[in-house]
Amino acid sequence: MAIKIVTDSVADLPPALAGANDITVVPAYVIIGNETFRDGLDISADRFYERLGTLPRLPTTSQPTMADFQEVYQRLLDQGHQIVSVHVSAKLSGTVNSATQAKAALGDASQIEIVDSQLASAPQGLAVLNAAEWAREMPDFHEVARRIRQALPRYRSYVLLDTLEYLQKGGRIGKAQAFVGGMLKVKPILTVQDGEVHPVERPRSRERCKARLIELIRNLAPVRQINISYSTDRVQALAVRAELAEMVDPEHLIESRFGPVLGTYLGPDALGVTVAQGSADWT
Amino acid sequence: MAATNEQELSGVELRRVFRLAFDRLEEYRDTVNALNVFPVPDGDTGTNMSLTLRAGIERCAESEAPTAGEVARDLSQGTFFGARGNSGVILSQFFKGFGDALDGSETCTASDLGRALDMAREAAYGAVGNPREGTMLTVIRRSAEAALEEGAASVAHVLQTAYLASCVALKNTPEQLPVLKEAGVVDSGGLGIVVILGGVLEGLSPDRLEGVSEEAGLEGIIGESMASLGGSDQSREAGFVHQSLEADWGYCTEFIISGSDLSPQAVRQYFEESARSTVVVGDPNNVRVHIHADDPGPAISYGVALGTVSNVKIESMDDQNAEWAAGHSAPAPTVGAEQAVVAVAAGEGLAGLFMEAGCGHVIQGGQTMNPSVQQIMQGIERAGAENTIFLPNNKNIVLTAEQVAAIDATVHVVPTRSVPQGVTALLAYNPHSSLEENLAAMQETLSEVITIEVTQAVRDTSVDGVSVKLGDYIALMDDELVITADSPETALENAVKLAEAGADSILTIYRGADVKQETAEACAESLESQISGLQVDQIYGGQPHYHYLASVE
Repeated sequence: MAIKIVTDSVADLPPALAGANDITVVPAYVIIGNETFRDGLDISADRFYERLGTLPRLPTTSQPTMADFQEVYQRLLDQGHQIVSVHVSAKLSGTVNSATQAKAALGDASQIEIVDSQLASAPQGLAVLNAAEWAREMPDFHEVARRIRQALPRYRSYVLLDTLEYLQKGGRIGKAQAFVGGMLKVKPILTVQDGEVHPVERPRSRERCKARLIELIRNLAPVRQINISYSTDRVQALAVRAELAEMVDPEHLIESRFGPVLGTYLGPDALGVTVAQGSADWT
Repeated sequence: MAATNEQELSGVELRRVFRLAFDRLEEYRDTVNALNVFPVPDGDTGTNMSLTLRAGIERCAESEAPTAGEVARDLSQGTFFGARGNSGVILSQFFKGFGDALDGSETCTASDLGRALDMAREAAYGAVGNPREGTMLTVIRRSAEAALEEGAASVAHVLQTAYLASCVALKNTPEQLPVLKEAGVVDSGGLGIVVILGGVLEGLSPDRLEGVSEEAGLEGIIGESMASLGGSDQSREAGFVHQSLEADWGYCTEFIISGSDLSPQAVRQYFEESARSTVVVGDPNNVRVHIHADDPGPAISYGVALGTVSNVKIESMDDQNAEWAAGHSAPAPTVGAEQAVVAVAAGEGLAGLFMEAGCGHVIQGGQTMNPSVQQIMQGIERAGAENTIFLPNNKNIVLTAEQVAAIDATVHVVPTRSVPQGVTALLAYNPHSSLEENLAAMQETLSEVITIEVTQAVRDTSVDGVSVKLGDYIALMDDELVITADSPETALENAVKLAEAGADSILTIYRGADVKQETAEACAESLESQISGLQVDQIYGGQPHYHYLASVE
């Protein structure tokens, strides 16, 4: 018997890390035209972004179903495990709902804790990774869930977009609406705050935007972990990674990819940096 | 004309003499406008001073107060809210000091007048951060000093002394301010003050004014300036410059009445009672009328009854306003918000740009249309937020904006001196940041932007050591004339290079109303190819007069 961590594919957790940490990822869906794909399983990020530019209509996304969660939960419970299920912000997705319904529908709901991370993508991914660490160390799964919730304010992230078009058309623009529109080219920097998308700044050029992003992250020191994620431009991601590498131990420097679900809202050329604030031993 | 008591002035008399001063200022308005150092379409001093004084005169006419103290207070309050442009703000402060001095006075005696002019001087100097000599301030100061020295003679005598001193000071302004000397003109605001003082003196005693006119030599001073400006005082005779900023509805109606024995004053009075935004100028043979009316019919009929009506131009402002409003949500999206940005911009393109980039409200105005204190206050009210960050976007509107901030603690001015500067400041605004953070971030951008303005010279002159011919395309960089060229595109390209735009720079080009998109695009592409790494954004500004506005960051 063990404490098992479950999450959804919106966490954009690199598969190798998910495997190594024994994390179960329930895929969300991305719908392109009449085709439905399981995020990260049926369609690769490369293939998705390739198609994104050629589509007459933007893709849409759909949360994992209650049945998807039921199946995963049932399997783990049958093996005698306890479950901490950590998900994308309920303000951005109905995933927490699906999970909650699945839990309620199960005979024995007492062995499952569902956590609304109030985050999405890389910061959610870091929260899940740390949850896996605590699940190995701590005896009580309620304690693990409590610890996860307590640490949520430590995850800070900024994402630099090439355009707000995808976020707006996808209906997830939130407070970044303030940066929408205009004939002027701006490169918005956004963050997720209180479960919602918030505007931060709107520099005029990509170069300035990148410089500002690095500055914003440096201002968050000390940090325990850094995650760099990108949608299409890995070279740029690597350049930013090199600038920030000295801030953390090498094993705490993670690279990930915005998967098809996130890509639907962020579009090509998005670049995100997430940190878990605090020193290496979380003090 | 009623005989005036030369010993002291009643409220009624004070109102009458300033009304005459206003009429004279109206007559000289275009002459004052023409005394523009830069050969560019600019914030018109004559228009600004005239509209400012008009607001004071209207307040007086409404209240019909009996005492001198109350009339001076009406002038002070009216001009405060009507103040436009730097010259208008200084004029309104002049009346503030004048009004404070006469507060509670039944009449205005000779010594009262001396004291009032002295307090007017003090208030006027207080209006600007770093007062410069050789401007209207000097003219105000010299006239006040002379009036004080004159002591307790008659009111008319004090005024006469002040008037003569103002003429001397005006004539001397080119010796104090090199830019005036180079252009060969006297200070425009100073002329406005001289005209007002002359009007008051005329109201007190037409004979005295006539008696000193040779000594004053005003026509000679004007003639010399006009000669330097490359012509006779043609612009004064043409006399038909019209600005209308009142955001009202109905029809903008303009026409000329030709006949004999016409009275421009009577025509003006008629329309001031029956229409809005009235501007009437002319002589006994031709009267030009500009009004805003709900129905232009009766206005035209009135003209036909007086003479022959020609050059009729009628435009529906409802259409213009509706067109504008259609693209922009009303009421303002910021009503009830904690904070909002309100900006001044001219032209549909720029106004739309500011709205899209996050303004709560845009006040139409700018280079040649400076909004008044009251119009700024109305715009701020329209945005309806608890706190307002205000972007004047023009160097001649900054002072007016600061007047508003002085009486309303919820208004915070980020002193943008140009439209491109305003855009950059606005992009640093984040409605979800605190007011303090926004003010600091926006303020910080001011030093990061170089502003370039390209327009066509309206006359021959020499400014900042650059000699310019009528019709030349000229570029100003942060208000300094730097380039002349034979096309707006060449002027822009050369100015951009002069601004040392490089690989890290962002160049934003705002195309004016008169420039074709293809032309601007070609120019943008040319610059992009000449300066490697330069990011060029070319957008439609639609601003009048200026072919291009641009910023280099």
